[in-house]
Amino acid sequence: MSSRKSKRVTATATALAALLAVAGCSSKTGDGEGDKEDAGGIKTGVGVSAKTIDLGVLTDMTGVYATLGKSVTQAQQLYVKQINADGGICGRKLKLTVRDHGYDPQKAVAAYTELEPEVLGFAQFIGSPFVAAVKQRVDTNKGLVLPQAWSSNLLGSSYVRVIGSTYDLETINAIDFLMKEKGLKKGDKLGHVYFEGDYGESALKGSQYMAKKSGLTVVEQKIKATDNDMTAQVAALKKAGVKGVVISAGPRQAASLVGVAAAGKFDVPIIGNNSAFSPQLLGTQAGPALAKNYYVASPTLPIGADTEAAKKLVADYKKAYPEDSLDNGVTAGWTAASVFGEALKRACESKDLTRAGVDKALLTIDAYDNGFGVPQNFTDPKAPSSKESVILRPDKGVTGGMKVVEKPFTATAAEGYTAGG
Amino acid sequence: MSEVLARGRELRSRNRTRLTRPRTYVWIAGVVLLLALPFYLDRFWLQAGLFAMAAAIGAIGLNLLTGATGQLSMGHAFFLAIGAYGYCVFAGDGEGGLTGLGLPTWIAAALAVGVAGIAGGLFSPIAGRLQGAYLGIATLALIFIGQHVLFNAHDLTGGSNGRDVPPLSVFGITFDDSELVVAAVPFGASEKLWYAGLVLLFGCGLFARGVLRGRPGRAMNAIRDHRIAAGVIGVPVARYRAGVFVLSSMYAGLAGVLLALVFQRTVPDYFGITLSLEYLAMIVIGGLGSVAGAVAGAAVVSLLPQLLTRYSDALPLVSAPGTGGITPGEASRYLYGAAVVAVVLFLPGGLASIAARRSRPKSGHTPGEEQ
Repeated sequence: MSSRKSKRVTATATALAALLAVAGCSSKTGDGEGDKEDAGGIKTGVGVSAKTIDLGVLTDMTGVYATLGKSVTQAQQLYVKQINADGGICGRKLKLTVRDHGYDPQKAVAAYTELEPEVLGFAQFIGSPFVAAVKQRVDTNKGLVLPQAWSSNLLGSSYVRVIGSTYDLETINAIDFLMKEKGLKKGDKLGHVYFEGDYGESALKGSQYMAKKSGLTVVEQKIKATDNDMTAQVAALKKAGVKGVVISAGPRQAASLVGVAAAGKFDVPIIGNNSAFSPQLLGTQAGPALAKNYYVASPTLPIGADTEAAKKLVADYKKAYPEDSLDNGVTAGWTAASVFGEALKRACESKDLTRAGVDKALLTIDAYDNGFGVPQNFTDPKAPSSKESVILRPDKGVTGGMKVVEKPFTATAAEGYTAGG
Repeated sequence: MSEVLARGRELRSRNRTRLTRPRTYVWIAGVVLLLALPFYLDRFWLQAGLFAMAAAIGAIGLNLLTGATGQLSMGHAFFLAIGAYGYCVFAGDGEGGLTGLGLPTWIAAALAVGVAGIAGGLFSPIAGRLQGAYLGIATLALIFIGQHVLFNAHDLTGGSNGRDVPPLSVFGITFDDSELVVAAVPFGASEKLWYAGLVLLFGCGLFARGVLRGRPGRAMNAIRDHRIAAGVIGVPVARYRAGVFVLSSMYAGLAGVLLALVFQRTVPDYFGITLSLEYLAMIVIGGLGSVAGAVAGAAVVSLLPQLLTRYSDALPLVSAPGTGGITPGEASRYLYGAAVVAVVLFLPGGLASIAARRSRPKSGHTPGEEQ
């Protein structure tokens, strides 16, 4: 018995010793991939091999942003396909690795952890809370992230760069439009219906700032993403006697708000943020009311814009995905992918395809326009890449269901606005 | 008299056989393997494992309540949230306009668990009186209240964007990404937390096992099986129910603290009704009323979606996102639903019953014995 026991103890001890010895052979030892230099004198690092440049896409195709996620991802895949057909960037093909997190924080963080050691950066990351969750890590590993979220909370990092104006700036521009064109004036009341959460609260910051600047009073109506019937909100706003309404919610809420207001002869201009519209709404009962009294502020020209780039994108996208509708997501995805592509091209010119090299290259982009009318400036990490907005209105006859009523502009109040104060 | 002697003999022989039983070696191998994993696995796997460990702690707590005492709770996510946010509030340094008491982090962790327990205690007048589905409905309210508070109490919770979680620091080791090299392997947050998670899970498992096998466990099972009979034989039903509810909230609180440490950020969206349902699924899949079942169920439920997403490229029938067809996210939901149905139909005792079925004929344990 005792000899057997001691044998066992020896065996266990040996096993432990062997284990520690084997740990030395673990692939995790040492720092693994350092920056290398290839034959052409180009410095490369994580996510870049001799033949490919790996980019990550963290999207939502099964959760609350499913429609947006699908359009954005398909547009980015289209961009990559076209770039690769033209020979790629720096002699390397682009490769997207897509992970669908379904707006679940656990899956999103897990997917980021999985892809981060393998990709150069992320061309898409949906869900600003999740971007915020990994922000600390992004700041240490320096892999560029282009979030598909326009919250001012995301500003301030050199490696998380918001493309286009944030919701607060967009709301300021939207109210500016109502004041200039739609007869909203000092002393008036302005209704603001907004989603609980990041998006709505970011937009609310904008309307509060604008109210202070222009002597308006904001009548707030906070709603949840699950509230689809805006009857109560319309009644409250009508009672308060507002002269205009801003809606920072989803397409369904916007349709309900506009439809109910029209039915109740509550005839004030209503303007929404860019997420508060989808072309499918025009086919619903609220369609005529939307076409009459609804405006949308957007960070870029719509997909149906009258520019060469937009027309080409529409044609290519229709060819690649004939069954899917053209919406804002397509423009947003395309813009993000092409900004990343532009940064890669510049990084290639300076022979540095490492993460640091790409970050540096992005900081040199000061007026990049991919054909959607708004120049993007990435030289200041504390500011979004543009402060401009375009005002659109629904129109059944146009591709994407939106036509431009006000060319890209920045409200004077927005010039002096910073997200912090 | 002879009975006592027989029992003594049996005990002695049990001690002797413990060393010769294969089961002991499976345990040793398992423990060694778990201890060695951080040296080999990359961060993704460690993180997945940590999510599973946190879930296991929470599931053990829920299993004490639902599995052993028969009290349905839909409010588990609420107590997880209290643990997670409580830790942030106690340990935070008050930067960025958020309330933070700046306490040492291990005290903060303990206090967060305590606060979760107190919250459970405040609810116990209700938890002690209601039973089964009625308690389920009452606890459902907690989720909605919790979500509302998480989104709106900006100073405490940071609103919809959540707040940063200060890294845990015990005995001079900080569980953050500052690198610590052990046997030439760089240890980051996940590697270090892995061991903390193992210790916590082991402690929680042992404690729950002790509760279940002792007097309280029998009382709880008696309440589950026949409340009136339990009362007649002298079990203070209301007090036991309330007590178990508090204990299960504390387990949830600890799971919340661990989750927060792994996430490095707390986000209100996470602590919704889906999370509560996931925990219920864990104990159903794993096996009601046993610690091992809770751990097994937690591992299955929290690892499955992550595995499917990771290997989506290689799986048949699952198409890459963006090409139409079933996406990995949807596929994992189908599988998950199918697993629950399959377990209820074919394995009413859950995964834990497979192990029990195999060991029963050999060791001759009574079926009521659980671990």
